[in-house]
Amino acid sequence: MGILGGAMTVARFRVEGQQPEEGWRDKYRAQLQDLAFKEPPVEQGLEEVEGWVEVHNLLDTTFEDFNRWLYQDVALFALRVDKKRLPAKLFKATLDKKCEAWAAEREVERCPGSVRAELKDSLQAAWLARTLPSVGVTEAAWNIPEGYCILHSLSEGMADRFRKRFYRTFGMTLVPWSPLEYVQGDPGRIDALVACAPSPVQLGGTDVRLSQGRS
Amino acid sequence: MSAEDGLPVLPHLASEFYTWLWWSSETRGSHFSLAPPVGDIDLWVDARLAFRNPDDTKLTAVMTGDNPGATLEAKAALAGGKVLQELRLGLRRDDREYQFTLKGPAMHLQGLKLPQVVDQGGAELVFERMHLYDEAVFVVQGLFRQFSEVRTTEAWSDDVLPALHDWVLGVDEEA
Repeated sequence: MGILGGAMTVARFRVEGQQPEEGWRDKYRAQLQDLAFKEPPVEQGLEEVEGWVEVHNLLDTTFEDFNRWLYQDVALFALRVDKKRLPAKLFKATLDKKCEAWAAEREVERCPGSVRAELKDSLQAAWLARTLPSVGVTEAAWNIPEGYCILHSLSEGMADRFRKRFYRTFGMTLVPWSPLEYVQGDPGRIDALVACAPSPVQLGGTDVRLSQGRS
Repeated sequence: MSAEDGLPVLPHLASEFYTWLWWSSETRGSHFSLAPPVGDIDLWVDARLAFRNPDDTKLTAVMTGDNPGATLEAKAALAGGKVLQELRLGLRRDDREYQFTLKGPAMHLQGLKLPQVVDQGGAELVFERMHLYDEAVFVVQGLFRQFSEVRTTEAWSDDVLPALHDWVLGVDEEA
């Protein structure tokens, strides 16, 4: 489910910033390519790796073919975020065993902290090398002439991440959508709505006669 | 306030808009005549209403199923002082039908089901889906404009709030 198919669940942003008048297609493509997803080395650590990918296949990161990501003036792209995770309890249990073995081999009661740290680093590196990352892909559509962008996620964390990368990529700011933008062009109306105090919500009060409702 | 700060998001305004949509759809028989160029549409409460307490963001009551807007529990939630946080709506404009949830203070569109117009993939599909998304937003904008016209005049306190009160109490049904 996403922008290309199924039900859409989207956060909307207004795009603020100067757009290039000429050659914007080539410029945006180069900018997407600059911060496209780069396959991390096998020994990737626990850090997250992110970058732009094409929406049709998360392994396509070149943006070479405009027909694959630019539909007239609507740009479709996705943010891929990879993160490796280790099973914490199993990792700790294995590390404890390794420490016990180290101490037994040397006939000492326990291994010092510095040794434990070394064993932890080497175990973590070995496990990370054979662990596949979890992969998250969040689609976005940027309607360039209309100046809005929609993100297929309502997560605030994802929105923050996306906004930062969008700014780094295009030098433009994504402003979170406010319903007051629906009356944009009528400043008096916006001011009047902002000035409205909340209406009394205790609509029924204690004398509400629930028997009048339908169930 | 600079353009990059954006306009404020007012939680009470969204809740009042959702309540107004629910009440209006029931009292108008689902029919809305919106200012041009939106025109006539049909709008109804679909399969979900979710409430919160006014001073909290967590949901405290959720009604689902067929026509939850007509249930005793839904109006009782309003009567008890809860406010709407999410509202699932059905929308028809000409022969195109949508379902979507308006969610939270920012009125995000959640679970927007678009009418199926194009079967094939490729560019046509993208154009069609973006066009239909724009149409759904366009209609919500028309609805919000109509709401804001009422909300910012004395008609809100003189006419709408008393009528809402009677509707919650079932006064019309009693008569």
